[in-house]
This record gives sequence, C-alpha cells and structure tokens, in this order.
Amino acid sequence: MTHAIERKIPAVEADAPRKVALIAHCLLNQNAKVCEGARYRGVVSPVVEALRRRGYLLVQLPCPELAFAGARRWWAVYEQYDTPAYRAHCRRLAQGIAPLIEQYLRRGDEVILIGLDGSPSTGVRFTSSKPDWGGRPNRPDDDWDIVARRGVWIEELEAELKRRGLPPLPATGWALDMGRFDEAGSRRDLEEFLESREVAAGEHGDDSAP
Amino acid sequence: MTCDARGWHAALVPDTLLNPPDRARAALPDVLSILETCGYGVLQLPPTGEHGMLLAVIADQVAEYAHHGYAVVAVGVRGESRGLHWRRLAPLLRHRGVALPPRYLIRPEGDAAAEAERFALFLSGYDLPVEEQRRWRV
Repeated sequence: MTHAIERKIPAVEADAPRKVALIAHCLLNQNAKVCEGARYRGVVSPVVEALRRRGYLLVQLPCPELAFAGARRWWAVYEQYDTPAYRAHCRRLAQGIAPLIEQYLRRGDEVILIGLDGSPSTGVRFTSSKPDWGGRPNRPDDDWDIVARRGVWIEELEAELKRRGLPPLPATGWALDMGRFDEAGSRRDLEEFLESREVAAGEHGDDSAP
Repeated sequence: MTCDARGWHAALVPDTLLNPPDRARAALPDVLSILETCGYGVLQLPPTGEHGMLLAVIADQVAEYAHHGYAVVAVGVRGESRGLHWRRLAPLLRHRGVALPPRYLIRPEGDAAAEAERFALFLSGYDLPVEEQRRWRV
C-alpha cells in the first residue's frame, strides 16, 4: 500500500472545538499485532485516510498487549486476558491516557473511539471468545468465536472515563481481528459511523456531546 | 491467518508532526503519509506536558521492539526539542538497555517537497544489520 493519505486542512480558530479520534494502537502500528495478525506494513491507511479526510486529529492509544505480554506473545481470546493482573495493567494505562482525553472533552472537542473488532483487548463491537482455550497453543485456525462485547482494554478504559465523570464516547471498531478480514466491508462500516457522527453533530449544532 | 505483512520498522513521532497546527502545515512534509509509504508503523508521542506514565509505556514498547528485530527511528522537528520528549525518553530507554534510536529532524524552513524526499530517503535507508534481521524476521 503506497498511496498517499489525503490530508484535509481545516481552517479553524485555535480555540474552536476540534474532532479528535482515539484510535487503537495497531491502526497506526501493525508491528504491535500478534504474529500473523498484521495485514498492513505499518499504518492501516484506509482508517487513517477516512479520519483525516474528515478533519480528525489522531490520538493513538497505548497497546496493552504488547506492553504486557511482549512482541512474541501467543494469540489469545478474551477469557485469557480477563485476569486481575491484566485488568490492573489496563487500568494503569487508562489512568495514563485518561487525562489527555479529559482535556479534549472539557474543551468541547468531539471525541470518538476507533477500536479493533475481534480483538480480545481492543474490541468495541465484538471480541474473540473461547472459554476453554489454554495450555499448549495448538488450536486450529478460526477455532474461536466472535461475541458482541468490548475487549478487556476498552472495558477498563471506559470504566476509567466513567470514574472521571466523562460521557461515553461514540465508538466503533475496524474489523481486523474477526477471522476473515473484509477490508471493503470494514471501510463501509467506518464511513457509515463517521457519517452518523456528522449527522449527530449537525443535529446538535457544534455540540460534541454524544 | 497465514501471512503477516508487518514492515518491522517503527518511528517515534511527536504529536505536532501527526497533527500539525494549521500555521505549521504548509512548512512541513506530510510525515504520516511518508511513514506509511515507507512501511513504518507509528509510535505517537503525547503532546508537550507531563506524561510520565505514557512515556514509560512507550519506552517499554521501544525496548520490546529493539530486542526483537525491529528497526526503530525517532523523528523530530529541528529547533523544537519538546515534541520528542527526548530529555525524558532517552534515560527511560537507556534504563531498559536500549541504544537510542537514530533521530531525523525535519527542517521546517525551506522547501517542504525537498525535505519530504530527504526524509523518505532516510527512512528507506535505515534497517538493522542483516544477521539481526535473519534472527527474528522469519
């Protein structure tokens, strides 16, 4: 993928509300993916392109799995990361990034969240599940299930924002970890979500509250 | 999943280069596009201010990459030292046994197109020694 990412240059005043997209770490850095999980060399260009075209600032979230289990970690499902130690790690990361998110929200910026659907950590609409996974990592491809729930990291991030009295963020996921990746379908989903945000912003004037 | 497309290259990038303020845009190359074209992943640094926890996590990630066959560089802006948080980040990296990544400083004055070309050349020309690549990139 070598095409240039189009950059919209919005002419806004310094203190005007901005559009801010919190994005899963690996959408800017595919090196963070688990082995065999990277679909792009570095940047997931369709996501970045769609966001920049609509004038969003990009804010990369930390990757909790890389920091916790390393670059050579095994694949895992939600249940394997649903442990007290991993949740404590995610809470610590959430406490690190939440002040930044709070700043954006308090100044009236529109903040959205783009996660990674199917991911045990960063899933927004879907996560991967298989309660009996464990032990020797010899399961066949596509042996896990996709269930409609947040990943562990997103759960903890949202809980931290709630603790701070902040509103829930409008969110969606790029469906990279759903087993069979459908880029065209993912693009459609993302565009529909972004379109819905523009409609909502139009209905509320410049009010960015979800 | 049967193949993996990762580029094995990542760049530490200040927030001001990913989200440049309006007044600076015309003077700067589009860093994100160039990184994307050259196959680099991005490790975005937080905006200026106190972000000790985030910098520590970023240092952990750079250490993880540096110890497992990834080529990591840092990109800054000449004359603007705060964006890279270098004074904070460098000791965190040393503490983790990581050699400081090579730094490229974007020159905001002058011809942005020529600067983009120089930057792309730097990115394309950087990699780990071949034996280190062979060890990890299988």
